[in-house]
Amino acid sequence: MSDTVEREPDAAPFAMIAGDPQAMVCEGDVCFVPGAIAE
Amino acid sequence: MHPFAYTVSEPIKIDIWSDIACPWCYIGKRHLESGLASLGEQAPEVEITYHSFELAPDTPVDFEGSEVDFLARHKGLPEERVRQMLDHVTGVAATAGLDYDFDALQHTKTLKAHELLHFAKEQGLQLELTERLLRAYFTEGRHVGRVDELVELGAEVGLDAQAAREALDSGRFAAAVQADIAQAQAYGINGVPFFVIDGKYGISGAQPAEVFAQAITQVAGENAA
Repeated sequence: MSDTVEREPDAAPFAMIAGDPQAMVCEGDVCFVPGAIAE
Repeated sequence: MHPFAYTVSEPIKIDIWSDIACPWCYIGKRHLESGLASLGEQAPEVEITYHSFELAPDTPVDFEGSEVDFLARHKGLPEERVRQMLDHVTGVAATAGLDYDFDALQHTKTLKAHELLHFAKEQGLQLELTERLLRAYFTEGRHVGRVDELVELGAEVGLDAQAAREALDSGRFAAAVQADIAQAQAYGINGVPFFVIDGKYGISGAQPAEVFAQAITQVAGENAA
């Protein structure tokens, strides 16, 4: 897949798809764009 | 005829780590559904399984106050910043067809909700309950941390109320919840939503519908090869 990246979570048996770098994720009580400021 | 239409025998498995209290998980769910719908009759058969992820284990079951109160006072985030982020997520949710109401939302611990989702999985009703709990939490201001309310919501999707209550009171599915959380840790999953497509590709975050559609089409093609 063209947008598959090499980096994978530790010990994960799958390849990561980069997709939209602006896609939001939530960790703990905050949600954010990975690599950007917390939202 | 689509080249994959009659060549894929096994459904594509989509494993999703998610929390009921995760606003972007509900949005990501809608985006995934939109991505599948965009494939129309060409869409391969999929088998979706939700896995537990508890975003904030230290959250009390009963918190007196709004979501703004929780994030601003309990967590120490600037109140103006909290309002901005809630306004933002409410707007994005609206574009996904979701009507978030953070003023009505009752912040709570989601551990029991996850246990009920595992019971629902056993009963073949996990997808129905996932949607029901997310809607109850984000749009209806229901309390999804209390057993009585969870049993009521479960019954709405077809779970036997008495059996659901027994499942929650006994803690029978607590180990299954922790196993999901441990699996996420083993995979290095720190945030949700997180999607694993057929065990091959990981997708982090509430990605646009087309990202899901592309990944699923890609996997269907690989499986058919």
